[in-house]
Amino acid sequence: MMPAQVAAPDGVLLILALMLPSIGLLAIFVLGHSRPERIALPVLAANLAVALIVALQVGHSGQAATYRLGGWLPPLGITLRADGLSAALIAMAALILFVVAIYARGNFASKAGGSESRQPMVFWTLLLGLSTALNTVFLAQDLFSLFVALELLTFSAVPLVCLEGSRETLRAALRYLLFALAGSVLYLIGVALLYGAYGTLDIASLHQVTRADRATSIALGLMIAGLMAKAALFPLHLWLPPAHAGAPAPASAVLSALVVKAPFFLILRLWFDVAPQPQPVIAGTMLAALGAASILVCSVLALRQARLKLMVAYSTVAQVGYLFLVFPLVMGSEAAVPWASIGWTGGVLQLVSHAFAKASMFLAAGLIAEAMGHDRIDDLGGAAEAVPISIAAFALAGLSLMGLPPAGGFVAKVMLLTAAVVSANWWIAATILAGGLLAAGYVFRVIGRAFADPAGGAPPPKAVARSRELAVLSLAGVALLLGFLPLQPFAYLGIGQGGMP
Amino acid sequence: MTASGLLIASGLAVPLGMSLACFWPGVRERALGWIWAAPIPALLAALFARGGGIVMSPEPLRLTLALDDVGAMLLGGAALLWSAAGFYAATYLRGQPGTGRFAVWWLLTLAGSLGTFMVADMTSFYLAFSVASLSAYGLVSFETTARAKRAGDVYMALALLGEAFILLAFVILALGVPIGNPLIREAVAALPSSPLLAPALILLVLGFGLKMGLAPLHVWMPLAHPVAPMPASAALSGIIVKAGVIGLMRFLPLDAGLPGWGGGLVALGLFTAFYAVAVGITQQQVKTVLAYSTVSQMGVVAAVLGAGMAAGAPGTALLAAFYALHHLLVKGALFLGVGIVAGSAPRHRILIVLAMGVLALSLAGLPLTSGALAKYAAKPLFGDGLAAALATLSAVGSTLLMLHFLRLLREMPAADPDAAPEAGILLPWAIVALASLVMPWILFQPVAGYALADLFEAKALWTAIWPLLLGGVLAIALFRIGRALPQVPEGDVIVLAGTLWPLVQATGRQIETADRWLRQWPVASAMLIVIAISFALAL
Repeated sequence: MMPAQVAAPDGVLLILALMLPSIGLLAIFVLGHSRPERIALPVLAANLAVALIVALQVGHSGQAATYRLGGWLPPLGITLRADGLSAALIAMAALILFVVAIYARGNFASKAGGSESRQPMVFWTLLLGLSTALNTVFLAQDLFSLFVALELLTFSAVPLVCLEGSRETLRAALRYLLFALAGSVLYLIGVALLYGAYGTLDIASLHQVTRADRATSIALGLMIAGLMAKAALFPLHLWLPPAHAGAPAPASAVLSALVVKAPFFLILRLWFDVAPQPQPVIAGTMLAALGAASILVCSVLALRQARLKLMVAYSTVAQVGYLFLVFPLVMGSEAAVPWASIGWTGGVLQLVSHAFAKASMFLAAGLIAEAMGHDRIDDLGGAAEAVPISIAAFALAGLSLMGLPPAGGFVAKVMLLTAAVVSANWWIAATILAGGLLAAGYVFRVIGRAFADPAGGAPPPKAVARSRELAVLSLAGVALLLGFLPLQPFAYLGIGQGGMP
Repeated sequence: MTASGLLIASGLAVPLGMSLACFWPGVRERALGWIWAAPIPALLAALFARGGGIVMSPEPLRLTLALDDVGAMLLGGAALLWSAAGFYAATYLRGQPGTGRFAVWWLLTLAGSLGTFMVADMTSFYLAFSVASLSAYGLVSFETTARAKRAGDVYMALALLGEAFILLAFVILALGVPIGNPLIREAVAALPSSPLLAPALILLVLGFGLKMGLAPLHVWMPLAHPVAPMPASAALSGIIVKAGVIGLMRFLPLDAGLPGWGGGLVALGLFTAFYAVAVGITQQQVKTVLAYSTVSQMGVVAAVLGAGMAAGAPGTALLAAFYALHHLLVKGALFLGVGIVAGSAPRHRILIVLAMGVLALSLAGLPLTSGALAKYAAKPLFGDGLAAALATLSAVGSTLLMLHFLRLLREMPAADPDAAPEAGILLPWAIVALASLVMPWILFQPVAGYALADLFEAKALWTAIWPLLLGGVLAIALFRIGRALPQVPEGDVIVLAGTLWPLVQATGRQIETADRWLRQWPVASAMLIVIAISFALAL
């Protein structure tokens, strides 16, 4: 039963969120190949403004914003919808992309009349492509649009890995592309199976009709596995460390902060909005077990990396693991709906605070490497004097990863711990705490080295632009501010969740 | 918003503001000369704002400061020692490199530690405790020696482990009160009826016991306290360990009457008290002996709390706080004094060593000193049984350990045959030493409820003196056989952890190998298929 709705005025903004970056992308092709950043930066600023207005409107009205393309109703038409969660996530993505863009002017500003303009051109185009893709992932309401969005995301992300163009980075990009492709294929088969079984791909419609039968199980199993590969959850993380090893810092930042979160968001939607209720306990436990393995194994690996970037990369795999702990925690809660439970809220907050913290950390690592001329952790002595603001940002972002107060990661960790205790999942509580200890280990290792005296014979550090350092610090600052959120489910994230249209 | 509330808030705001001001290099370089002033508002608050409070932020966060009698007592003592040690540091560290960095860590540790005595809600407590605990790393590892680095690493690892225990305990505690950020007393009131009482109590004792140095979680203290610069050692051993004490006082359901749990804590505390003496008398470094003495004394405090919890005796926290205050001032003065003795020629030492003798034996309950008062006040909690006898016997151990300390102190090599102690380090030491002698007399009657005259009765005097005599006899025996004792390394059982280290490294290497294997194409692809099939089956 779909009540007919006219597009609300705020709904128009949703289509703008998709169109703005796309138009910017085309504009670079047509007009701006000499100075692409002059188009990309204003577009990303406008995109941020749109995302913030959507987020404010959703909060103000207390209702989800909806837009139906061409006025067609599902299952024929395509719907865009921003509930509290989606609105928060597009705002997060827009803010991070904008700050990354400010930072990236230092890496990819085109030189006036310069001959080499391939890198800037490619980078800024891809950044806008990512922006479109992310907005679509967070707003689209049918599994096929989501597939398209996911592909756009992958195709924008893969070349970011090999901007440098060296043999090494091309190999890494191919590795990423192929594994993501395998994930896409699994997802697509799942979509086909669901369409065959139910004749619709609209999530709201599927929500009403899915049954616990063989076809649905296979479809969901394939889709979840495919999405895990794209999210680089252990043990499907083969592409992630090499991808980060040669990627420029801004690319790593968006990859870690945003790109791997999109497939998780889709798993969340499949689990809560598509899968027949109640979901089997064993499946939730399996998701959490993979998450726990991710946390423990990859934190240890992060601790053992010699290079700063790879340390941060392994930390991403570990931190993504926390997100997968959510499933059994929500099942074990007494909340009537998932989004009223502390575990679900903690998971979302972990996603957001990790996005800000990790973006800041990768960008800081980039500046540290630029200043020192290398990113070997053992030889970072003197970095604290060379780039004090970057080290401070790294430390603050690290606070969030460790889950120490006052940081967003702390509030997220306490929420997840609370949910673990309430649902008597003691092994999850122990994993969360152990992960925090290991994170402290790898963060302090870097900070400790950075404060040591510079090694004799090391070349003097190069200066980096203060504005870029401040951009990095601002991201860490947001991660810190999230730590002042109260320890309870947020009403905002529940907006539009209860009454699926 | 009352005047007392503002005064309490300024006790926290001033040191935090000063540490923020150190962001400017010009301020940072001069900060060492001003750190003595940072705890002054807190000291004033302890004296004049008792019973006051202030809510720093609205619902649902409601960060709350409040100063009850227990908090005020420890806050006053801690603020005094912080101030005196800060004054001492200005002279002691003058001209050394890195004093700006030292001042920043000092101010942050100070703010956190004073915060633990003032906060009333759980989030603020965790925040203050973490700030104190983690910033102290900067003090422990200030000297850039290999010994300091190892001590710093061990300190940090165990401090973070303690945080993890405490966090989980807090999560359990907060479950009993269905609001965002409960006040500590609301959460603790709900604890005895919680089905998760047992894990909560175990986690609390593990977490705070680690900070207090209850055996076998004391291993970081004999490593960390000696390597810090002298004023920092005084603060660490005198004040920072009290963050664990106030934690147990605030979070254990002391008036619930839990004989089993209380008895367990008494046993743990008394074991710690004797164990630390046994290891302490084999140590040959003055500061290490003092660190073991702190471990031993904190064992006694834990036993006092345990005895009170077993009986559900009202006022237990206040009696334990009184004992902790005595230890705070005395141990602070002892560490500061060691720095004076080390820096002055033998002929200038005599009076100081004598005064140190009184202070040291005060820990063993020398009559008319703060130690005697604290022990007398806490004694009834133990009743008449075995625990009471052992608690009394712990004074014998303290006597022995302190006589060992005094002997090492007297034998300390002098740097310069003519060096006289500087006023800049003599004065703060004298103030703390004097405070340790005077303050308990003022507080004794209101805390313990006894008249001061009771202390002068023959029975009371004899109860205090015989452990000293027995300890003295044992000390003579110890000095005879002294060198024949086994040399236990600093941190004793940490050496066992050292033997496990290669195993940890090997595990790490194995995980790396496994990772390389898993990241091969055939393996990862197979994993993808296995996971897809598993979920298809499970869903």
